[in-house]
Amino acid sequence: MRKTVVDYINNKKTHSSTLAFFRVTFGALMFLSVIRFWSKGWINTLYIEPKFHFKYFGFSWVQDFGIYTYSIFIICLISSLFVTIGYKYRISIICFFLAFTYVELIDKTTYLNHYYLTSCLSFIMCFLPAGNYFSIDNLISGQKHEYIPVWTVDTIKFFICIVYFYAGIAKINSDWLIEAQPLSIWLKSKYDLPIIGETLLQQKSIHYLASWFGMLYDVFIPFFLIYSRTRYVAFFFVIVFHALTKVFFPAIGMFPYIMIFSAVIFFDSKLHIFLLEKIKMVLNNTLTFFKIKISNTLKTVNKPIIIKKIIPFILMTFLFIQVLFPFRYFLYPGELFWNEQGYRFSWRVMLIEKRGETTFKVKDSITNNFFYVKNDDFLTPFQIKQMSFQPDFILEYAHYLGEHFKKQGHKNIQIFADSFVALNGRPSQRFIDPNVNLLSKKESFYNKNWILPLNDVIKGL
Amino acid sequence: MKKYITFLPLTIVLISIQCSSEIEDTDNLVIDETITTEIVSDNNSTDNNDNNNSNSSSLDNETSSFDHKEMLTNWVDNIIIPSISIFDNSLEIFKESATTFVNAPTTETLSNLKEAWLSSFLKWQHVEMFDIGLSEEIYYKNRINLYPTNVERIENNISTLNYDLDEPVNFSAQGLNSIDYLLFGIGENENEIISKFSNENLNYGKYLTDLVDKMVSLTYEIKSSWSDEYKLSFVSSTDNTASSSINKVVNDFIYYFEKGYRANKIGIPAGVFSDKPLPDRVEAYYGKNYSKILALEATDAVNYFFNGNYSNDKESKGLSIKDYLDYLEADKEEKLSEKINSQLEKIKTKVSELNTNFSEQVNQENLKMLTAYDVIQANVVFLKVDMLQVLNISVDYVDADGD
Repeated sequence: MRKTVVDYINNKKTHSSTLAFFRVTFGALMFLSVIRFWSKGWINTLYIEPKFHFKYFGFSWVQDFGIYTYSIFIICLISSLFVTIGYKYRISIICFFLAFTYVELIDKTTYLNHYYLTSCLSFIMCFLPAGNYFSIDNLISGQKHEYIPVWTVDTIKFFICIVYFYAGIAKINSDWLIEAQPLSIWLKSKYDLPIIGETLLQQKSIHYLASWFGMLYDVFIPFFLIYSRTRYVAFFFVIVFHALTKVFFPAIGMFPYIMIFSAVIFFDSKLHIFLLEKIKMVLNNTLTFFKIKISNTLKTVNKPIIIKKIIPFILMTFLFIQVLFPFRYFLYPGELFWNEQGYRFSWRVMLIEKRGETTFKVKDSITNNFFYVKNDDFLTPFQIKQMSFQPDFILEYAHYLGEHFKKQGHKNIQIFADSFVALNGRPSQRFIDPNVNLLSKKESFYNKNWILPLNDVIKGL
Repeated sequence: MKKYITFLPLTIVLISIQCSSEIEDTDNLVIDETITTEIVSDNNSTDNNDNNNSNSSSLDNETSSFDHKEMLTNWVDNIIIPSISIFDNSLEIFKESATTFVNAPTTETLSNLKEAWLSSFLKWQHVEMFDIGLSEEIYYKNRINLYPTNVERIENNISTLNYDLDEPVNFSAQGLNSIDYLLFGIGENENEIISKFSNENLNYGKYLTDLVDKMVSLTYEIKSSWSDEYKLSFVSSTDNTASSSINKVVNDFIYYFEKGYRANKIGIPAGVFSDKPLPDRVEAYYGKNYSKILALEATDAVNYFFNGNYSNDKESKGLSIKDYLDYLEADKEEKLSEKINSQLEKIKTKVSELNTNFSEQVNQENLKMLTAYDVIQANVVFLKVDMLQVLNISVDYVDADGD
C-alpha cells in the first residue's frame, strides 16, 4: 500500500499540457471575472460604499482601503493575466490567491460558493508546477518541462469532484426532491423566457424533473467524467447543465464558465496539447501580423519536474479537510437551512430560497424606553437583504448598533431582534427569540440557541 | 480531434446566452413580439374580468399561465391613470376655491377651501404609492405630501418673496402639508388667519396661489406623462427583472406601505424610530382632525390596489397582485392573499379605534398608536417576506451575483 502511494507520488507522470491548459483557462476566466466585476461598479457598491462590513469570524482585521480598494483589484487583474501567460507563474498565482481571498474576506455579505471555489483552486495552484509549459517563463528560461507528476492534475480533479459530489448530496433532502423547492418558486418566476416560460416552466412536473435531474447530475457527473468511456457524453451534459443554469439564473455570474472549463481537465492530455497548439497558432498569426517573431527553440526537459516532498502532503491535508468540512453541520442541532450553522464553504449551491425582515429594537434596560432602528441608515440594500435571514449577520449587526448608540450617549443599551424569515415557500415565522438581548451573546462556534427552531422538518443530508 | 469541434457551437450558444442575459436589464422595449401573441389572450381574459371574485376560473388549470400583461393593463387603465385623473380633477376645484378665497377671504370661502383641500388630500392617498416613471424622476410625492412641513422656510419665502418651488430645499415648503399650515396654522384662530390673508402686503394669498398652481402643473405633467406610447411600453414590460414594470410597481407598493404608510403616518409620530414620541410629525398636523381620516383612506387605497379594484368604480375588479398570488399558490390550502387581506382588515379596525387627531392620540395614549403600528408591521412581513418569496421578486434593486 505504502509502496504504491510512494510510487504514485514519485513516478507516475503525465503531460504538462493538461496543467498548462488549466492554468491558461483559469487565469483568463479570472481576468474576465475581475473586469466584469469592475465594470458593473461592484467594487464601489459592495466594498467601498458600505459604512460597515460583515466579517467572517476571526477575520475582523481584514479592512477595505476606501478608494484604494481598487488597487487590490488591480493586483488581481495583473496577476491573473500573468497566470494566463505564465509569466513569473509562482509569484503571480500566489499574489492572485492572496489578493482575491483578501477581497472576499472584506465582507461576507458577498459570499458566493464560486468565489470560495476560486480561492480554493488558486490555493491549490500555488503549489502546482503549472507554469513550466506553454508559458512566458519557458521563453525566458529557454526550456520547458514535458512531464509533470500525475498527482498534480489529480489534485485538481479530485477537488472538482468534491465540489460536484457535495453539491449533489446536499440536494438529497425532502424540500428539493419531494417538494421540488425552491426550484418550483424560481422556475415559475421565469415566465418571461421565450417559448418555455409560460408553458413548461409553469408545470409542477417540470419542477420535479429539474430538481431530480440537478441532483443526479451533481452526484454522478464526477464519476462519468473520470471514466474515459463516458467522458464525452458527460462533458456534453456539463455544457448543457451549466448553460441551462445560466439561462434560468443569470445572476450566478461566471460560475457556469468556471465549471465548464475546469471540467476539461478530465480529458486526456492529447486534447490539451491540441487545444494549446490551436491557441499557439492564433497567437503566432497575430504576432506575424504585427511582424514580431519569437524564437521557438526551447530545450525540452523530459525528466519530470522536481517538487518538494512536503507539497503533496500539504495538498493531501487540504483535500482531507475539504472532504470533512461540509459535514461540520452535524455538530449543530436544528435545521441547517434554517440556522445556517455550517452552511457556507460546503458547496450548497442554489439550495434555498430564503427571505427575511429583521428590525432591531434598542432598549434602555432601566427606563424601558425603546426605539427601532432604520436599517437603511447603516446598511446597503444588499446588506439588509443578506443580514435579514442569517443569524451570524444579525448578531454582528446588533453589536455594531450597540457600539454606535453607546457612542451617541445612550446608556444601559439592550438590543432585541424582531425577525421573520420564510424558507423554501413556507409561510414566514419568527426567526430570533425576541426576548434575548443580543448584546449578551457573543459570536463563537458554539450553537446559537437564540435562534427559534423551524416549525417543520426537512429530511435528508 | 473532430469530436472536439462539436463543442464549438455549444460554446457559442453559451457565450450568446451570457451576452443576452447581461443586457437584459438595460432594455425594456424588446417585447414587441409578445404584444402580438398576447392580443389573443387579452380577449379571453377581459371576459373573466367581471366575474373575477376570488379565483379566476381560468387560473385553476395549472398549465394555463398567468396573464401578466393583463394585470399591468388593469393597473394602468383602471387604477393608476384614473387615480391621477381623480386627483387632478379635485385640484381644479381646489384651485377655484383658492382663487375665490384669496380674492375674498371670509369664513365661508375659507371653509369651502378647507373642504376642497381635504378632498384633494384624500384623493392623493390613492396616487402616492405609484412612484414610477416621471413621478419618481421629479420627486412628485415629496412635492405633494412631504411632512413635517418647514414652517420657517415657508414664512421666510413669504416675507422675502424670493423662492423657486422647483428647488429641492423648497420641497418641504410646498404641497398639501404646507397648505395645511397656511389654512390652519398661521394664526391662533380662524379670524386671525383670515385677517392675515386679507392683508395683501403679507403675501399669504400669493404664496397659497403659487403652491396650488405648482400642484396643478406638476399633476398635469404626471397625467400627460402617461401617453399612449409610454403606456404601451409600460404594459409590455412584463418580464421578471429589476427594471420591469411588475417588479417596480410591486416594490413601490411595498415601499409605500412600509415608509409612506407605516412609518410616516403612524410609526414616526408614535416615536417608533426615536427616543420619544413626535406628535408634531403627523400628516396634516395643523388641521388637527384629519390624520386619521387620511390614514384610513390610505388603508383603503392599499386594499384596492392589492385586490385590483378600479379607482373610479370600487365594485369592479381586474387582475391584481392577489390573483397573481392565488395563481402561484394554486396548490396551497392556506392562501397568502387571504392572510394579507385579513391583516388589512385588522389594520383598518385598529386605525379606526384611534383618535381623529393622531397627535392627541400620541400625547394621551401612545400605546394604542404602537399597537396599530405592530399590526401594520405584521403585514409588512407578509408583503416583504412571504409575498416577495412567492412572486420571486427581489426586494428593491440589489445588483450582485447570487448562488
